[in-house]
Amino acid sequence: MHKLTTLHPSNIVVQAEGNIVSDMDGEKVMLSVQKGKYYNLGEVGGDIWNAISKPATVAEIVSTIERAYEVKADICQQDVISFLQHLLDEELITLLNT
Amino acid sequence: MKKEYSRPSLEV
Repeated sequence: MHKLTTLHPSNIVVQAEGNIVSDMDGEKVMLSVQKGKYYNLGEVGGDIWNAISKPATVAEIVSTIERAYEVKADICQQDVISFLQHLLDEELITLLNT
Repeated sequence: MKKEYSRPSLEV
């Protein structure tokens, strides 16, 4: 489990494999067959998910969201890290460095 | 044109 791992801007993350992803009304939804769970990532979460289709640092993901949305940098970083932490806890993303 | 922001959350 990743419960004890705290993400930092320098961490590199990427989508985990084995999930079925679809777009519904502008929101990203996902089915984890392995875990038997269904997830709604929402619009911003969907953009974060798209940003990690290839390995990217947390800082790069924050920059991507910051450029696309009306949001202050410090709030964006806090929210993106919190969201990625949730994805990591659900084992939906893989941490490539620690 | 930037989009309106809402805090990302993972609904499970």
